[in-house]
Amino acid sequence: MSLAESFVRARSKFFPDHLIGEILTKRWSDNAVPFAALIMVVVVFGALNPNMFSAYGLFDLAGQVAEYGLMAIALTVVMIAGGIDLSIGSVFALCALTMLTGMNVYNLPMSVAVAMTLAVGGLCGAVNGLLIGYMRLRAFLTTLVTLIMFRSIYELIMPNFATKIVLGFPDSKVWNELGLGSLFGLPYAVFVAIIIAIVWHIILSRSRPGWQMAAVGGSRRSAFNAGIKVRRVVFMTYVYSGLMVAIAAILYGARLNGLGTDTGIGLEISVLTAVVLGGTTLGGGRGSVAKAMMGAVIVLILQNGLLQMGLLGTTSAMVLGMVLIFGVWLDVRWLKNRHKLLNSSYVSPAYLKLPEDAPDPDKGGVYAVNDLLSTSQPLAIGDVEGPEDVAIDKDGNLYSGSRHGNIHRWLAPDYTKHEIFAHIGGGTYGMNFDKDGNLCVCVGGMGLYMVTPDREVVKLTDETNRSRWSIIDDSRLRLADDLDIAPDGRIFFSEATYRYSVHDWQVDMLEARGNGRIICYDPRDKSTKTVLGNRIFPNGIVCLPDGESLLFCETWACRLMRFWYDGPNKGKVEAVISNLPGYPDNINRASDGNIWLCLIGMRAPVLDLAMTRPGFRRRMTRRVAPANWLYPNINMGCLVKITPEGEVLEAYWDKDCVNHPMPTSCKEDRGHLFIGGVSNNRIGKWPVPGANPEWSEHTKWATYGRAAATKTSEKKA
Amino acid sequence: MIGAIIDRVEKYLGRGRHSIAVPVMDGPLHPNNRLEEAQSLFSLKDVDNLACVGANIWCSSGPMLLCAAQDRQPEVIETLKSTISAIAASPEGALAIGVDGQGIVIRGGKHDRKEFTKVDGVALNCPTAIVFTGENTIAVCNGSKDKPAADWKRDLMAHGKSGSVWEIDLVSGKATKIAGGLAFPYGLCRTSTGYAVSEAWAHRIIAVKAGEKPRELLRHLPGYPARLSQGPNGGYLLAVFAPRNQLVEFVLREPEFLSVMTRTVHPDNWIGPKLMWGQGFKEPMQGAALKTMGIIKPWAPTWSYGLLVVLDEEFQPIDSYHSRADGRRHGVTSVTVRGQEIIAAAKGAHEAVVLHPITAGGAQ
Repeated sequence: MSLAESFVRARSKFFPDHLIGEILTKRWSDNAVPFAALIMVVVVFGALNPNMFSAYGLFDLAGQVAEYGLMAIALTVVMIAGGIDLSIGSVFALCALTMLTGMNVYNLPMSVAVAMTLAVGGLCGAVNGLLIGYMRLRAFLTTLVTLIMFRSIYELIMPNFATKIVLGFPDSKVWNELGLGSLFGLPYAVFVAIIIAIVWHIILSRSRPGWQMAAVGGSRRSAFNAGIKVRRVVFMTYVYSGLMVAIAAILYGARLNGLGTDTGIGLEISVLTAVVLGGTTLGGGRGSVAKAMMGAVIVLILQNGLLQMGLLGTTSAMVLGMVLIFGVWLDVRWLKNRHKLLNSSYVSPAYLKLPEDAPDPDKGGVYAVNDLLSTSQPLAIGDVEGPEDVAIDKDGNLYSGSRHGNIHRWLAPDYTKHEIFAHIGGGTYGMNFDKDGNLCVCVGGMGLYMVTPDREVVKLTDETNRSRWSIIDDSRLRLADDLDIAPDGRIFFSEATYRYSVHDWQVDMLEARGNGRIICYDPRDKSTKTVLGNRIFPNGIVCLPDGESLLFCETWACRLMRFWYDGPNKGKVEAVISNLPGYPDNINRASDGNIWLCLIGMRAPVLDLAMTRPGFRRRMTRRVAPANWLYPNINMGCLVKITPEGEVLEAYWDKDCVNHPMPTSCKEDRGHLFIGGVSNNRIGKWPVPGANPEWSEHTKWATYGRAAATKTSEKKA
Repeated sequence: MIGAIIDRVEKYLGRGRHSIAVPVMDGPLHPNNRLEEAQSLFSLKDVDNLACVGANIWCSSGPMLLCAAQDRQPEVIETLKSTISAIAASPEGALAIGVDGQGIVIRGGKHDRKEFTKVDGVALNCPTAIVFTGENTIAVCNGSKDKPAADWKRDLMAHGKSGSVWEIDLVSGKATKIAGGLAFPYGLCRTSTGYAVSEAWAHRIIAVKAGEKPRELLRHLPGYPARLSQGPNGGYLLAVFAPRNQLVEFVLREPEFLSVMTRTVHPDNWIGPKLMWGQGFKEPMQGAALKTMGIIKPWAPTWSYGLLVVLDEEFQPIDSYHSRADGRRHGVTSVTVRGQEIIAAAKGAHEAVVLHPITAGGAQ
């Protein structure tokens, strides 16, 4: 191996490329840009004005952040539901006026004044909500009008009270503490704001009302179709917004204890800048409290910083305007390109060197191409699409899965009568009967299911334990592939990959990372546990009669492995055949104690070469259309018979690939082999030369019983 | 410096020189099944290099020169020293035969049995197309300076640009270079002003004339052009021997992978154009070429395709004959005209077919 190749290999082994794509799938990855902006602003202005982050500077800033943050949350709530509220500046002024008039002029108890202020805020919000939510006026114009109306009301009332407010001195200790007191060096307002922010975070991210808002903002029509009362949800967002603004106004009143003609003017633009800069999208459906808070802090530091640098208010408004434009531009670009970035970075190929000593079918030997499978009789043409696996019940009836998520059944003996035995949904893959005649099935995208002889569909499991350091949620089963049942009744099944769904299973091949695992479902306590992880597309599974080990295939690694799940060797994994010339799929028992192994396709030299070049494959997935991606040649495969120890006995080919271009599974039953294919439209029935005509999958339970009995007696002895 | 930076950026974004976009078959090239359904003339292994003299069709199969009389199977006339890579017939019935890696030999006419192995001191080792401009002059395409025609795939992967076009005086043996530095000139025919040459790796047809710079007549072909021929009713015919493919274009821009692939893998199993795909399980496959529910989709991306393009007097496509991914008449390398019929050789399918062009009346 050359030095360059060693480097490529080490890089792919130790550098987790795949995590970049996984992080991008997370909604919180949106916050990366505003967070970076926040850090940048703090560093720049911290360096320019050291006073800003002194104790006093922080105290002052924190008070403003509290009010500002609450306003930003108010606007975020409206914007998540797809609206906009420009009237918040005016509502803010009105509420501050109400609060201060109540406290300073009429000397009302604080609780009454607060209630009145909230009522005014709520009422203003309700007016907006009524017009926009129920009368369905345009949010932008409506709130622009109410901005002016509320402002007019404020300017009509304010002169009557302005002097009295300044002269009045409320007799409330709480009020004074709220304005001037501090805890841990920060004003009380900050703690009020933090509590409210946490509450809103929970509402927005983890509760029904929050989800409904996001649903309405994301797609109004879909939300309506899903039964959400869209108008009510929109109405309520404006009421919430009014209430939040009222709280901000109360904090403002307590802090400054005064009002001016310019109170609240231009506030809507700076809050809007904060919200958009934080990453809440103008189109609705996407936004969070964290984004609002980050945006608020950025804008405040920017504003204060510019002021302290001696810039005029008008100049700083200009700067703010430019920042808003930049934020809107970023929002549009990010929304448009996020999925492109995700698409181009999710597939992250790894280095995989396949053994070079694989037997070459072109050079003869056991793998030499023959036409033995040409005597296969095609059954069920047109009845079924994509029978990945097949199973035969005690009475000899034939079952298969399909890409439509059905369990098909053809009745013995001639298999011409066809019926849908059960409908599960999701692609139905590996299947086997348990001891009691229940059909256990791996269902793509859904998990492990069971169909009873009475056709009842029972979910056995759809999740396993989440691994500790995974970024994407790997607890859900995405691609359960094949299963087998151990002598003690435990079901071992393979999940081929947890990074791709059923329809993209071939893409996992380009990645060839250990994305798959072996999972055990124990029907005794109904528990599910991952028993073996980091496998390269684990596929077929066969439990061995010893009751403590199983064989499984790793498709893209072209090898057959043995894994001990119990006994003295528990946890051990060993290669049985490490140099298969093709890509193994399902494995199943043969009547003579050997194993049938399906190769869905053979290794192509060019692909082997590409597997050692992760960069080449990554560039390919970025540049070439998916229909043109390099795949293994899975248009020509074969069946192979091997001993459980790994000796290859014979290969069976369908040379012209008419019936079985890509055999994914085969099951032997009473002298015949039934062959399925995940992209085929037929099942092959092929007479096995020299097979035991009495043998079927069901006879194994009797031998298992004997084996278990001997084992117990051995233990006793 | 700036050029290098722009090149890096374009490489990352897949733009400019690094774009792997492939033109779609649309308009006059809209896919149909007319080549696939065409009447078979005869089957012959590796049939290639059609030339028509009267009602007789001359053709080649490996080193064998064959002749098929009207509605008869081709018969072997002579076996040459190496694979025949080009045949041209003069109006009077003399043949100029390109022998791969060797040169040109003449059969019949007044220059019978003459041989030309060198032009102007350069070995004529890759004669890909010949045309008579009179009984005493021929023009010939030398596909590559250093590789025989059989190694065409290697020339493609090496970004070959060493092809040339020559005019040879059969009396004196004097050769004149008409054009050089071409990316595998594979087809040649006379036009009213000079010659038209199909430049395979550049996916275009150019007009060449001694002492003048080549001029583009048709570019952005969706496949690799092979032989050109005069059409039955004016205009021209172009055989396109393999389709272009995004993955191939991509690999052509991956120098490291390309060099290892061409060094260690058999050419049949390369990611590259072929005359017939699906011949073995070691051949790579592209995602959408998977056989589903027992069939190959006609639009599947494959390494081979069957395409014959009808061009007008200005070399603009006006009609086409296709055999699609699920068909078998792939790898059309040669085309000729017999009266009102078009005869095409699908080398990939080892078969020659007869096509009846739509006449002015609209009937086939």
